Amino acid sequence: MHRRAFLLSAAAVSSGASACAHGEAPPGRVSVPFWFMYGGRNRATLETLVARFNAAQSEVWVRPVFQGDYFEGLAKLRTALAAGAAPPLSHVVGEVVPYLAEAGVLEALDDYPGARTLPLVPALGQAGSFRGGAERPLVVVPFNRSTPIAYVNRRLFEARQLPEPRSWEELEQAARELTQPGRFGFGCPIDWWYWAALVGQAGGEVVEADGRISLGGAAGVQALAFWQRLVRQGLMKPPPGRDYNAWEQLSQDFLAERVAMIWSSTAFVRYLEETADFPIACLPLPRGKRAAVPTGGTHFVLFKSAPSELKLAAWRFVLFLLEPSAAAFWSSETGYLPVTSPAASALETSGFYAKHPNYRVAFDQLAAAQPWPWSKGLFRIQRELVQPRLEAAVLEERDPEQVLGEARALARENDL
Amino acid sequence: MRPARRAEPWLLLTPMLLMLGVFFVYPLLSALHISFFEWDLLTPPRFVGLHNYAAIWRSGELLASLGTTLLISGLVVAASLGLGLVLALAVHRPGRIAALARGAVFSAYVVSWVSVGLLFLWIFDADAGVVNRALVALGASPVKWLTSTSVAPVTIALIVIWKVTGYAMVVFLSGLSALPPELGEAAALDGAGPFGRLRHVTLPLLRPTAAFVATTSLIASFQLFDVVRLLTQGGPVRSTTVLVYAIYEQLFRDLRVGRASALVVVFFVLLAGLTWLKLKAFRAAEPT
Repeated sequence: MHRRAFLLSAAAVSSGASACAHGEAPPGRVSVPFWFMYGGRNRATLETLVARFNAAQSEVWVRPVFQGDYFEGLAKLRTALAAGAAPPLSHVVGEVVPYLAEAGVLEALDDYPGARTLPLVPALGQAGSFRGGAERPLVVVPFNRSTPIAYVNRRLFEARQLPEPRSWEELEQAARELTQPGRFGFGCPIDWWYWAALVGQAGGEVVEADGRISLGGAAGVQALAFWQRLVRQGLMKPPPGRDYNAWEQLSQDFLAERVAMIWSSTAFVRYLEETADFPIACLPLPRGKRAAVPTGGTHFVLFKSAPSELKLAAWRFVLFLLEPSAAAFWSSETGYLPVTSPAASALETSGFYAKHPNYRVAFDQLAAAQPWPWSKGLFRIQRELVQPRLEAAVLEERDPEQVLGEARALARENDL
Repeated sequence: MRPARRAEPWLLLTPMLLMLGVFFVYPLLSALHISFFEWDLLTPPRFVGLHNYAAIWRSGELLASLGTTLLISGLVVAASLGLGLVLALAVHRPGRIAALARGAVFSAYVVSWVSVGLLFLWIFDADAGVVNRALVALGASPVKWLTSTSVAPVTIALIVIWKVTGYAMVVFLSGLSALPPELGEAAALDGAGPFGRLRHVTLPLLRPTAAFVATTSLIASFQLFDVVRLLTQGGPVRSTTVLVYAIYEQLFRDLRVGRASALVVVFFVLLAGLTWLKLKAFRAAEPT
């Protein structure tokens, strides 16, 4: 009898696994395609959570579909939206949220069950991530959120008895001490996100409170000039490639000890800790005139065009991921921030943070997080106007004031 | 031979005409239409006339990406012609070693572009790459293969040359095999040495082959995308943004469907011009 029951359950499991492998929902369940853009370890963690959700109830079946990196995924989402074939659920980077909201493709979530009372960490929800976000209909729910942090090779730091760099001057000094033939002291992708951090630290705003595109004014110039100085002196490696290719290159350089200290996303804590054969210390970014970091990562969105039944089913999955155990699991397996207060408390009370202090750095740094402006042109300012000019300034030694002036003029001309 | 029914040839042509219509003519006409609109796929398109063409011209994007494409294409065509011919002449002989050399050189052509990209990312890495390590070991300065705006386009061209030269070699080999041997023998009897036979007999007869190699290399390098996507993403500072990559960026990164379509139309006109040149070159190269 036991044997028979075992065989029956084995058959059930194998048919379930086969359905899962083919992405098909078991009969009687609402199948929810979920387009995601996490690779590597983060992807495996997400798939674990999807499997848990699918096993925890019998009405909804979430079918995760990998769509490349954030930008590739966004391109596919837009195409699918235009073709009327968008999935009910996906996730998008913060910079693009105001644009998608203005285009009217995002589902307003305020009236979904529990949406008004989600115990989100204030800096990570829509209200805290976007200036003016609280007054708008709720269209995003955070899940993989991050801030940039500094990763240092502790072995190299301790060998030279270097203090943790807490200011730009100390960062430059540490980079100088750590640089030697075949190794750069510091590495940072020439990327808008890190530049925005420097602008904030220099006391500026990329977009002013009145919506004017200032690109930080003098602070924007100081930020670029700081990078230029470090690169010119051979203290900082600007990694080859662009976007996430550059980030990945920098991780590889750090792991191979070709760079002693890097700025990267908190999303890589687990990966870098596990892969490096030297101890890693994570540090908050140094202060300029003040401490400041942008937040990053993505938010969940539901697409208006999907049938109500699918959107409601997708919402159940979102709520599942925000449960303390799921959100804490995601954070502890990846390095992304815990997005709800109960998840953060769980990591604290379980002793996880005490045992793994590197995971805590980004969370503590949220005290200095600066919200993004709710500006529909933000992603164009990022992708078209600023990003190429950052590269031109750093790699071709162009005058920071001139390149940022050009970008401001183009923003005005294009009514961004 | 006359068809039994007048419709018969058209019936036979229908599948191919349908395919051409659906996958080539319609998208092209559609691109032409969209190029007059400002459109991001999500919000309604807005008619802007020739503004997209003016924008890609004024911003310098068209000229810059065209310049990069022509630079890379020029290097690729010249090197694939020269190297392809030299290699073909070197291995156009019987024997196992020549067969092995032919196979080895051609093998690069069958490797997927993605694998080629990943391989060269490792070879040309500024710090850990094989090439720079060798340079440093020899006492030379390392080269910024992928991070210098002046060197990166040449690096991309080198990779394409490595990949397509095997194909050029095979085409030249077939050209060499098709040459009537009696012409060379007659020239030898008339006292022509190996160099004289090459210069006065082989090379003139290989002109159609060379024209074919040149035009196919040119078109292949105009369509370059994969290696750029993998190695440089168009950077540093747009120095490797070739035309096809510029179209990709406009469409998928910047969400500007109208401008991407304007680039597509310009690209089509250029390719049509190249094809016309190709036909002309073939006709001119045909031995009389």
